[in-house]
Amino acid sequence: MYAIAIHGGAGAVPRAMLSEQREQRYRAGLEAALDGGFALLERGGSSLDAVSAAVRILEDDPSFNAGHGAALTRDGAAELDAAIMDGRQLRAGAVASVRHVKNPIELARRVMEKSRHVLLVGAGAEEFALEENFALVPNRYFRTVERQEQLECEQRGQRVSDLVPSPQGTVGAVALDGDGNLAAATSTGGMTNKRPGRVGDSPIIGAGTYAKNGVCAVSATGHGEYFIRAVAAHHVCAAVEYRALSLQQAVRETLHEILAALGGDGGLIAVGTDGRIVMDFSTEGMFRGARDSGGRREIAIY
Amino acid sequence: MSRPQLLALLCLAVAVAPAVAVEPQPLAIAIHGGAGVIDPHKMTPEGAASYRAGLAAALDAGYAVLERGGTSLDAVETAVRTMEDDPQFNAGRGALLGHDGEAELDAAIMDGSGPRAGAVANVRHVKNPIELARLVMDKSPHVLFVGEGAEEFALQQGVVLVPRSYFRTARRLAELNEARRAEQAGFRETPSGGTVGAVAIDRAGNLAAATSTGGFASNHPTGRVGDSPLIGAGTYANNESCAVSGTGHGESFIRQVVAYDVCALVQYRHLTLAQAVREVVQKLRRRGGEGGVIAVDRGGNIAMDFNSVGMYRGARDSRGRRDIAMYRDAQ
Repeated sequence: MYAIAIHGGAGAVPRAMLSEQREQRYRAGLEAALDGGFALLERGGSSLDAVSAAVRILEDDPSFNAGHGAALTRDGAAELDAAIMDGRQLRAGAVASVRHVKNPIELARRVMEKSRHVLLVGAGAEEFALEENFALVPNRYFRTVERQEQLECEQRGQRVSDLVPSPQGTVGAVALDGDGNLAAATSTGGMTNKRPGRVGDSPIIGAGTYAKNGVCAVSATGHGEYFIRAVAAHHVCAAVEYRALSLQQAVRETLHEILAALGGDGGLIAVGTDGRIVMDFSTEGMFRGARDSGGRREIAIY
Repeated sequence: MSRPQLLALLCLAVAVAPAVAVEPQPLAIAIHGGAGVIDPHKMTPEGAASYRAGLAAALDAGYAVLERGGTSLDAVETAVRTMEDDPQFNAGRGALLGHDGEAELDAAIMDGSGPRAGAVANVRHVKNPIELARLVMDKSPHVLFVGEGAEEFALQQGVVLVPRSYFRTARRLAELNEARRAEQAGFRETPSGGTVGAVAIDRAGNLAAATSTGGFASNHPTGRVGDSPLIGAGTYANNESCAVSGTGHGESFIRQVVAYDVCALVQYRHLTLAQAVREVVQKLRRRGGEGGVIAVDRGGNIAMDFNSVGMYRGARDSRGRRDIAMYRDAQ
């Protein structure tokens, strides 16, 4: 059994605001990422490679808030965060607040594999990227016209979604491979109009990203501060491991009880050790996709 | 209700009321000043006395806040600030210096009621990172700020920044030079880490945790962030379960989400605090992570455990306990 699930952010786009053309674009982007990740699993690749590939495709797609097309800070710059976790040995890598790394998920993976550390931030993370022979890109690589308009709307005090419907949030993937290994990856540009230096849950192991073999792999999207306070991704795994809740119950409790009580909304995708996929959200929608070796393949928004 | 029943009820009420009044919510605070950093053979009696004095000052300053009815949040902040200002500890002034000879500071604070949290990472000009973490929690809708963005926020909040030289002490410079020499000579020097932290419960039953650190010694890259400022890894508090602060090999604490794991074991597996702390510290050791944790639960019970040679620590509560220790045998 092998399986992969992805998300491209939760919330923000009211159904009525989403034009058919735009919806097609999101669906096509999600399909490309889902099938890209699944193809690796099918060839016997690792879950780690599958989630890296899926997230990289979403980072490169300007429709989603990660990599190219990331949300912009108050200063009009892109500041990117990403994390990856290998459930096999609880290895993890993450970067936060980087401004010149084309695919932050690749740098996160490099931190995991080539350094003794888990989290590198800012200029230090980019120094490490250079040492690892990453070609840095100018910050304008990440900026799109749409994101700039979004920022201007937000700064004028208008609700972004009334003018430029676009997914807030994050992109992420979770997978189980044929060897039973679990992995999770998450990448984001953060909130539109955020203060420089603000870091959300995505690069925080346990908050936005977690994977542990024999338990589950989780990637989150939503209002990051709440997911940090709730240690959301690890809460899901702890509920499965310590209380023998089903993955579905664990995800539901985390979203609709724990996070709801704190006042935070968003979504979670998770895959269990049996390959069962759970995708749930407390927002109006979540861009998502799931595919497994049992023949399931679906893309959904609402 | 008949008269005898009413009488019985009244008697019961009278019997119960004083018992409740006699046993108020216990106050408790525990602190740590780092684990695994102490070689008992190198420790002079003067050095030991000096560390103990530093720990006692932080412990008593934090406890004094609780005793005069202050919040656990104020108590842990006070205790941590005291250690940040003490150059013996790896936080604030006296933080270990990084590769480039500069200190990079991280801190986090968490209020178990809410729960709310604030944290900063990779700041270089903030005298007391724990105060900035508290401002992030109290004055921004965010939880974590890093680098220059964190310092920009500090300035907006009226925090006075200090030059980098404030953090460089003669002792840390000497250590850095020694480490550089060892590196050049091809030795892979053991990183001497360490962190300071505090956990407490106040009269209202609120739990809080705070952690602050200067990170590792010279052999780690700029921008490396350990577990201290990460909610769930090095710092966690929740009134439903417990408050935890960790110290040790940060990467292991992050991967195992150590602080939150202690509380999850208490809340969901119904382990006692001491059992939960022990289990998590053992789990860390099995995966090669050296370090220790301090924790306090809703009942005011304190647990402190470590898998390293020692952990600078102190505990004080309203039942009369007050101890300072460094090694396994509570000395």
